[in-house]
Amino acid sequence: MKSKTSSAEYISISHLSKKFDKDFVLKDVNAVLNKGEILGFLGPSGAGKTTTIKILTGQLRPTSGDAEVLGINCRKIDELIYEQIGIVTDSSGVYERMSVYDNLRYFARLLNAPIADIDPLLKRIGLYEHRKKPAGKLSKGQMQRLVVARAILHRPKVLFLDEPTSGLDPSTALEIHRMLLDLKEEGMAIFLTTHNMEEATKLCDHVALLNEGIIVEYGTPEEICLKHNKVKKYRVQLTDGTKHVLLQNQDTAEKISQWLYESRIETIHSCEPTLETVFLEVTGRELK
Amino acid sequence: MKTIQLKPVHLRKLAAITEVKGRALFSKNFIIMPIFSLGFTFLMDLIYSNITDGAVDMSALALAFGVLMNISMTGIYCVSAMLAEEKEKNTLRTLMTSSVNGLEFFLGSLIPAVLMTAAVNVLCVLIVRVEMSPSQWGAYLAVTTAASVISSVVGMIFGIFAKNQVSASTITTPGILIFMMIPMFSSLNEPLEKASGCLFTGIALDAIANIHAGRPAVGTQGILVLAAELIGSVVIFLLLYRKNGFER
Repeated sequence: MKSKTSSAEYISISHLSKKFDKDFVLKDVNAVLNKGEILGFLGPSGAGKTTTIKILTGQLRPTSGDAEVLGINCRKIDELIYEQIGIVTDSSGVYERMSVYDNLRYFARLLNAPIADIDPLLKRIGLYEHRKKPAGKLSKGQMQRLVVARAILHRPKVLFLDEPTSGLDPSTALEIHRMLLDLKEEGMAIFLTTHNMEEATKLCDHVALLNEGIIVEYGTPEEICLKHNKVKKYRVQLTDGTKHVLLQNQDTAEKISQWLYESRIETIHSCEPTLETVFLEVTGRELK
Repeated sequence: MKTIQLKPVHLRKLAAITEVKGRALFSKNFIIMPIFSLGFTFLMDLIYSNITDGAVDMSALALAFGVLMNISMTGIYCVSAMLAEEKEKNTLRTLMTSSVNGLEFFLGSLIPAVLMTAAVNVLCVLIVRVEMSPSQWGAYLAVTTAASVISSVVGMIFGIFAKNQVSASTITTPGILIFMMIPMFSSLNEPLEKASGCLFTGIALDAIANIHAGRPAVGTQGILVLAAELIGSVVIFLLLYRKNGFER
């Protein structure tokens, strides 16, 4: 099948909609993911993030609109595409009675990945010492690392991650973040869903803020935050412990100059909105 | 209209699925069924020997009941429970999104179950110490293996309806009782005998009695019933699969 998208464009979503019964769960969604980029779909539960992943991976059919993954229309996806994409869903889907190594060996055989790659991968994700342990006995963080390892075992071009760090402790989440940034550096395109705005800001090249199936903002995290930085403010903490939030104007400039002259400033920050405050401003609801 | 497209089977994937399914059959959740069938055969042989005090050879009946138990429990129950377990643990969805197609999963699940059922059928003969000529062995293996294949496909049909292992037990138990009880009590009245003649389990049970008596294992009607039920079960499976897939 010929691709209509450019060679670097791994995912293109165009006017995608999905209806369950009479309710739209996705409405006119547009987005693009290029090679070596991370695209984040950010939104609260029920926003349509998982539905988007299911459509893009051929597990659901869209009601209207189109999407292409690696040049293949999402309506024509068959099992062969799974050799080029990796999927991490909210359910682990590991064989709990099988060892960590055997789980990866099984999927390496199914996905035609070299068995020799398993041990280096286990070392990379920090599970080499646990390779003989039944997967069912892993901790939640270890299990999630195993699931990510299984998804990248065959070196896919596109990796889909549905809330990969949900419910994990900060250090495990940090390890997964590092791994995702490394994979991005290696040229993998990553489609990530999350309701964690810090994660999205840290990892994503582009984010789509999704609310009730509609993209309410799309762009780089910086672009989105700056776009909504209408009232420019500064947060200043002085050496005496007092805190001040000041609007950008002539008075503030003079005040800050004076404090600087008197060496009274402990910290000073500009107050741009975060993705979370942007989401709240645009939709009137919180992300979590 | 939704059609079923027969997709190519990759031997690499089929071998991997068959190996994992085979190992699952040897896990404690499932190995109990073939072991129970062997124990049941041994027990029946022992009971019949004691009842008749060795005066009447009842080994064929013990063998027939053992095979019946094996076909029902290893064939139907284990296959449906294994499919239900894959659904319950979400491993089935993971397989389907790891380039495994329905046919590869179907065959990979069927092959170890049929091999296990056939192997237990052979062991049952050794337990009851029935002597058979090579041609009788051939007939025995052909009929019991055909019945094993049908029972495994029936197990897959039950598995399509089961959401988890508990519901698999609930769904398969009445089916197993029908496939086992009708042939077991077929000698008690005529309607049951007629019904038994229309079931693959009944054909297998009759074939064992015929082999032991030195008669041809299966008549034309038996062959037709086995062929019809094999084709019928596969068609029913395909229709249900087309409607629901494995992941309903």
